[in-house]
Amino acid sequence: MKRILIEYEKCDGCKNCSAACMQAHRKTPGTIYDLDLTDPENESRNRILKDADGHYKPLFCRHCDDPECVKSCMSGALHKDPESGHVFYDETRCGSCFMCVMNCPFGVLKPDTVTKTKVIKCDFCADAGGDPSCVKSCPKKAIHVEEV
Amino acid sequence: MNQCYGCNTCQSADKPLEAYIAGLPMETSHHRVESQSTKCAFGLQGVCCRLCSNGPCRITPESPRGICGANADTIVTRNLLRAVASGSGCYIHVVENTALNVRNTARAKGEIKGVNTLNRLAALFSIEEADVHKRAEAVADAVLKDLYLPEYEKMALTEKLAYAPRYDKWKGLGILPGGAKSEVFHGVVKCSTNLNSDPVNMLLDCLKLGISTGIYGLVLTNLLNDVVLGEPEIRLAPVGLRVIDPDYINIMITGHQHSMFTFLQNRLTDEDVKEKAKKAGAKGFKLVGCTCVGQYLQLRGAHYTEIFDGHAGNNYTSEAILATGGIDAVISEFNCTLPGIEPICDQLKIRQICIDNVAKKANAELKEFDFENRPAVTDEIIDEVVAAYQARRGSVPMNLLTDHGNANTLTGVSETSLKQFLGGSWQPLIDLIVAGDIKGVAGVVGCSNLTAGGHDVLTVDLVKELIARDIIVLTAGCSSGGIENCGLMTPEAARYAGPKLRAVCEKLGIPPVLNFGPCLAIGRLEIVATELAEALKVDLPQLPLVLSAAQWLEEQALADGCYGLALGLPLHLGLPPFVTGSKVAVQVLTEDMKTLTGGQVIINSDAKESADILEKIILEKRQGLNI
Repeated sequence: MKRILIEYEKCDGCKNCSAACMQAHRKTPGTIYDLDLTDPENESRNRILKDADGHYKPLFCRHCDDPECVKSCMSGALHKDPESGHVFYDETRCGSCFMCVMNCPFGVLKPDTVTKTKVIKCDFCADAGGDPSCVKSCPKKAIHVEEV
Repeated sequence: MNQCYGCNTCQSADKPLEAYIAGLPMETSHHRVESQSTKCAFGLQGVCCRLCSNGPCRITPESPRGICGANADTIVTRNLLRAVASGSGCYIHVVENTALNVRNTARAKGEIKGVNTLNRLAALFSIEEADVHKRAEAVADAVLKDLYLPEYEKMALTEKLAYAPRYDKWKGLGILPGGAKSEVFHGVVKCSTNLNSDPVNMLLDCLKLGISTGIYGLVLTNLLNDVVLGEPEIRLAPVGLRVIDPDYINIMITGHQHSMFTFLQNRLTDEDVKEKAKKAGAKGFKLVGCTCVGQYLQLRGAHYTEIFDGHAGNNYTSEAILATGGIDAVISEFNCTLPGIEPICDQLKIRQICIDNVAKKANAELKEFDFENRPAVTDEIIDEVVAAYQARRGSVPMNLLTDHGNANTLTGVSETSLKQFLGGSWQPLIDLIVAGDIKGVAGVVGCSNLTAGGHDVLTVDLVKELIARDIIVLTAGCSSGGIENCGLMTPEAARYAGPKLRAVCEKLGIPPVLNFGPCLAIGRLEIVATELAEALKVDLPQLPLVLSAAQWLEEQALADGCYGLALGLPLHLGLPPFVTGSKVAVQVLTEDMKTLTGGQVIINSDAKESADILEKIILEKRQGLNI
């Protein structure tokens, strides 16, 4: 399966991956120029944290081999696709229990900010042919896709 | 030779140039587009603020305000005002030096080539001096006096130069500029840390800077230069890399200040100086035009046929011009002298000399233009150029492109030469517009960049779309350099025009795209527009006239753009000026401006769509005039 691999030391904290993620998942058509960066409905599936030493820690969904989120999902909204190995989320089946959020060992999953009824979850840009927008947008090449 | 250096160069509208650059054994800006293609989304939208040590702050849904509390509207408009003030400063620097050159030339009883323009200005300024030199000095002094006024004192010449309905509009909006230099100062103060936070207030300042930039930096720079350097005359001239003749000692000139070359260009054709070239093994000296100062020389080429062979190319052609090996020195005085030419100059042993401190290049020798000591400094420069020629010729390979460009680009078009060409009146042009043979006029102005489709790609495609719709195109700036090298300014280019415009062009023997020269000549386009509006007794926004800075590049272009908006004209941009992160800025620039000044910003990077929008506006304006 394909995974996004992170080289922490290369990250500048520019958040371009987050902007690219918002752009890839926005509801309205448009370009990066008119993506509304003040609209809380535009949420990024990735985040950049900073550790105590001041180093950036880009946080991306790992699409784990043994995903805790899938195991904890009672409604079947989350499942691991046997073919691609990616973990997909079906919003229509979500019961908003957020057990996946509680159980994600990396803290990457979160409820959506506006309605708190669904989960913000990386889909590996499946709609865009499975070529993640975040990876394409990283000026430092701190993230890359690798077959593992 | 000619090994492929990277094979990843960007596209150019000029296909022979694109192929030439792709095959160069050195890196150019065209090679670097790919490796810089990942752009920061916050920067693109203008919502990154680093005005204080709390920053950089960026606007995201989780952080809609910077640490200080500035929101996207404040951050965006502060950034824009900063850029406009800086761009205005550049043009005001140019007009200041130009006026000083007129004054110094007048005091030294030097040659006044453009007496007609001098008289035109003297009449406008109500200056009555019988002696031509005293008249020129008084004109220059009047301009300088205005430039140096404080911000709280309005400039006196604005009212004399501006179209009356526009002046009244600006007065009503409270945007009449004070001293042009002080306005730049005022602008940069306003957008500093934790000062102004009112987006509309700052956008109005942008308009004010647009007015001082336009009337002084653009209109007056042209006219003052005409006084000393001669008025443009319409003629056909060669353009492109073909103009480089390796039998001569070739100096590529870059910048915006033709006034600084006044003495040098004459000195290079003096017999004793030509003798130096001959001794070194060359036939003489040639200036090779590049960037806007090259356009300036081309425009006045009728006066300088011996020293100037033609314009080789615009800003992003400069590396290719040097790569031919035929250039021995670069004399630069302003932008757009790309830093990227430095390693190429080193590699090809090309001497770089800079004559204005503001544009000092890292590996150039600074030989500041000094009017008092101009004979001595000029001779020192000439000796260094000759030494460079001797040191490099024979050891540096030639890689000429002798069939690039074309031999018959129409040049020398100005507000006076065009009117003269039409028989001394705008009526023939007005008749053609009224009859619909010419649907409207589009000023395709400004720079060239490498990102709106590639080098000159959007500009040239848009021009083709416009002329095909019977809209005549007037150009000024580096856009001219690209369009002319692509052949659209030759009389034969009439075949690309729509049937009606084509018939007009073929009858008059002119191309459908008329080249007014450097970006400064946007001021000449304004004069044409004003005179047309005067003849029709309407205000500028009513004319079937649109502007496009399709491939705007730099801060100066943003100041130009603000002038266009202050004039009330629709302004098309291929790429947004880093403002789309602010809803207020977008609303004001694209919509509310229509009621403020009559202008509007249109942002579109597709040539056909852009032409459709501009054509629609022209048709609406025609309807408004009942034609």
